[in-house]
Amino acid sequence: MRARIPLALSALLVLIPLLVAILGPLITIDVKPGLPYEKGGLLGTDGLGRDVFSLLLAGGRTALGMALGAVVIAYLIGGLIGLLAASTRHRWVDEALIRPLDVLLPLPSLLVISVVAVGWRASPLAITLAVAMVNVPTVARLVRAAALDAASGPVVEALRMQRESWIGIHLGYVGRAVLGPVAADIGTRITLAVFLVASVNFLGLGLSPTAPDWAVSVSRNREGLLLQPWAVLAPALLLVSFTLGFNLLADRLVHRTRRLVEAKR
Amino acid sequence: MSEALNRRGFLGLAGGLGLAALTGCGSDGASNAAAQPKAGGRLRAVFAGGGAKEVLDPHVQSLFVDIARHKAMFEKLVELGPDLKPLPRLAEKWEPNAQASTWRFTLRDATFHDGQKLTSQDVLYSLARIADPAVPDRVAQSSLASLDLRRCKAIDPRTVELVLTAPNAEFPALLAGIGTHIVRDGFKDPTKPIGTGAFKFVSFEAGRSMVANRFDDYWDGAAKLEELQILSADAEARANALQGGQAEYANEMTATFARTAEAGKTVKIVAAKGATTQAFVMKVDQAPFDNPDVRMAFKLLADRQRLVDVVLAGRGVVGNDLFGKGFQYYPADLPQRERNLEEAKALLKKAGLLNKEVEIFTSDSTAGFVEAATLFAEQVNEAGVKLKVTTGSAQTYAKDLLTKGAIGSHRSGAMPIPQYITDRLLTKSPFNVTHWRQPAFDAAFASAQVLTDETARAAKYGELQKTLRDQGGIIAWGHPDFMVGVSAKVQGVEAAPPNTLDSARFDKVWLA
Amino acid sequence: MRSYAGQRAALAVVQLAVLSILVFVLTALLPGDAADMRFTETLTPEQIAQLRAQLGLDRPALERFTHWFGNVLTGDLGTSLISGGPVLDIVKASVGATLVLTLATLAIVVPLAVALGILMGTRENGRLDRTITSITLALSAIPDFVIAVVLVALFSLKLGWLPATWVGGSLLTNPVLLVLPVAVLLGRTVCLLSRQVRAGTINALHADYVVQARRLGVPRRRLLLRHVLPNAAVPGVQELARTGDTLLGGVLVVEAIFAIPGFATALVDGVETRDVPVVQGLTLVLAVAALLINLGADLVCNRLVPRTELLR
Repeated sequence: MRARIPLALSALLVLIPLLVAILGPLITIDVKPGLPYEKGGLLGTDGLGRDVFSLLLAGGRTALGMALGAVVIAYLIGGLIGLLAASTRHRWVDEALIRPLDVLLPLPSLLVISVVAVGWRASPLAITLAVAMVNVPTVARLVRAAALDAASGPVVEALRMQRESWIGIHLGYVGRAVLGPVAADIGTRITLAVFLVASVNFLGLGLSPTAPDWAVSVSRNREGLLLQPWAVLAPALLLVSFTLGFNLLADRLVHRTRRLVEAKR
Repeated sequence: MSEALNRRGFLGLAGGLGLAALTGCGSDGASNAAAQPKAGGRLRAVFAGGGAKEVLDPHVQSLFVDIARHKAMFEKLVELGPDLKPLPRLAEKWEPNAQASTWRFTLRDATFHDGQKLTSQDVLYSLARIADPAVPDRVAQSSLASLDLRRCKAIDPRTVELVLTAPNAEFPALLAGIGTHIVRDGFKDPTKPIGTGAFKFVSFEAGRSMVANRFDDYWDGAAKLEELQILSADAEARANALQGGQAEYANEMTATFARTAEAGKTVKIVAAKGATTQAFVMKVDQAPFDNPDVRMAFKLLADRQRLVDVVLAGRGVVGNDLFGKGFQYYPADLPQRERNLEEAKALLKKAGLLNKEVEIFTSDSTAGFVEAATLFAEQVNEAGVKLKVTTGSAQTYAKDLLTKGAIGSHRSGAMPIPQYITDRLLTKSPFNVTHWRQPAFDAAFASAQVLTDETARAAKYGELQKTLRDQGGIIAWGHPDFMVGVSAKVQGVEAAPPNTLDSARFDKVWLA
Repeated sequence: MRSYAGQRAALAVVQLAVLSILVFVLTALLPGDAADMRFTETLTPEQIAQLRAQLGLDRPALERFTHWFGNVLTGDLGTSLISGGPVLDIVKASVGATLVLTLATLAIVVPLAVALGILMGTRENGRLDRTITSITLALSAIPDFVIAVVLVALFSLKLGWLPATWVGGSLLTNPVLLVLPVAVLLGRTVCLLSRQVRAGTINALHADYVVQARRLGVPRRRLLLRHVLPNAAVPGVQELARTGDTLLGGVLVVEAIFAIPGFATALVDGVETRDVPVVQGLTLVLAVAALLINLGADLVCNRLVPRTELLR
């Protein structure tokens, strides 16, 4: 089957913003502060006269870092809960772990994050944790379902009869079996996390208004859009490039996983 | 209508131009007025909203949007001119006794929206309502606390005598403050506003809009507009609404918007130069600012022109560490303080502050605060002191600043200078962000307040302000222009600082 | 079936109670209270303290919560600490706009996504499928605030075809106000929904009984309508319920950009001003709505594809 969009392109779309985010803060450019919304220099200045290019280099860390960190935490916590819930012999443990998470389900995530952001303003940690918490219920359910699938299969029975340790079975084999669905899910989850964090920062509820963060830049420099569009377009393009690339890569992964499953049938 | 009235907004650096008192004669304000004022039309004015905080009760007002709404429907005895001097409105004239403790006001022949004439009874009722101790959110309670209500009385239906517990030559200006409107005797239901203003109430939706229609029997000449809508929206939406033709007037616009608008043709900017004050405030009783050398050093470190250029995008005038440039009583003869890095370093070294860290406590509650603090931090760093910017909650910042933050951000709207001092710079002042508590200063100010001769008062105020400039905790670095956007067909909008008579005033506005 | 709904209802009540407590605790943890929020530089600290007492904010938290809870059980959502008016009024005023936006979006999204999904699913991996998939992938990668900013800049500011905000406007007199906000909301939802429908369609088409039916010569249209569509709809319906989540998130951004006085904005404002009764009331309404939607979606799915496990 011909590949839909070349792998190289998708990877590039992801890598460029990622590299900017990781390596950017290490590069220092000596630019004199200028006047607001002026063209000139590489990409002009923003609403405070700061060089847009320098801000781009510094802004990826929060824009991507918070989202990625949140997803990692969500998987660590949610994954653990899900595995525990699936592998326990006692049904009440399962219920006790999963049911409380359902309480948060009716609430839309952006609203929850906004509320947290309003309370603990300008704290990237608070927002990261909040985004992680909002994802924990779904991740836990996902991992639990996948683990249940694996745990009830004949392989686990066999392992148990061979007296494999509980950890060996549940975190070893089952854990590995869960990786498939997790990999399929992680793409969309990271994209959604980036959106969530960006939306909160865009609304001015999260980071400080003078932070170099990409989403904050898009929001703060909107008023100068017709004067100096790069202050908005540059960070926006980096954000979109990352999520687009990630979406494409995740889609390939899902596609490939499904074909493997079908081939097995 | 003299030409001088058109230039009212532009005060320049020569304070106190002594402009002709507005006697209510309407000006059409259009510099290219080939046309005559036309009657009719609907004007939609957008202001920054306050959601559920918006109120119809004029005695509880605090937001610009509410001030505009109440100004359309209600009026005060006195209003402030562009230099913050008192101007007669519902009070035609006033006379103090020799001690400035009893004042006799003569009322104008004005009619309420329900047809009743304005009488002294209405005035007394309004003042009593404001002072009612059972209702803590009447905003003028503390500023009118000096009224001795038991001794105030109506001499006749058009004359009222107000008595103060302490003499105060600036009393009329207090009656022009926020929340001092005159309501009908017996006014109880804020949802049915009845005032003497140029527009009659039609409908109100908190956080969204208020609609009012022309009142034909307005004493100062019926308005030209048929309908006035005062709407709420945040800064971005205001800009888009004005440019998109959904509103004809947008209040409090940013410098960037002014730039964009001036590039186009459909929107004009009406700017009152240097109308408000932006400052950094130091607490004179907290280290390191309890050392006057440190205070002076910080004042010398501010690169004011750069702050104005970057934070205000050039739309403003440089400040001289005093509130109220261009207002009545401002000492315009004091030399402009300039940046002096060397002298600042010497003072800091003497105080032992070099290479130490100080925190500046700011927030996003007002546009420009965080930006100015960040820029100032860079300027201070050049002298070898690390100024760290910390932000607090925008919602509670004004209150937090009263107790927290050795140095913080401060903005003040337009008000008469004596009132600013009363509110912030006396020992008992409720909003004393700099903790400036000097009994000698209090006494000098009190002695100035009883002088009925304006020139004598001005001289005393001048001395007090000189002391403040040198020793106080206020680094007033700039006075932003107050800008309003109007669509090209709107005429009659005057450039005016907020809280003055012509600010957000629509009875002299017409649509071409 | 009835006991299933009953079970869900009981669970829902517990969830709502826990949620209310959680929200109350969270708002109580925030610095400052509603009296502090009324501070302007004209009210003295003494006046603020008096106000605080009048609003009952100096009473212990447990007492305030139980008082509120008791009121809710009798249908009284309380009064706003900021405006003094009934919370119900705020709910009524803000729900309207958000409801119209969401319904308008759904009215377009559902038929569009279903049509697209079936179209793509029945032509799996064909050229049409690949093109539409690429477009939807790309579109779903752009954050809604970027879409909004671009659309407003283009269609309102530059071209002037559409209104940029809802300021002073009314939907009754000017329905064109809906166009831009709905366009923004459509963007991601149509992509996600159509892909789910597509996945469901493909699965259904590959199912054994469908392959059998086709072999037996059942006409294509009947096949699609009777057998494929119900199965394809299941993941779609579940996604639709989840769309509520993304939609409400998108609504907050859209409300902010277009100055729409909607539900999400009222909730965030309530938190900003520490108007606890308003936050409680709005969250309750939101949670009830979400629970109902989820229950509805589950019941519909059950009807479409009866499965005995659901009745456990």
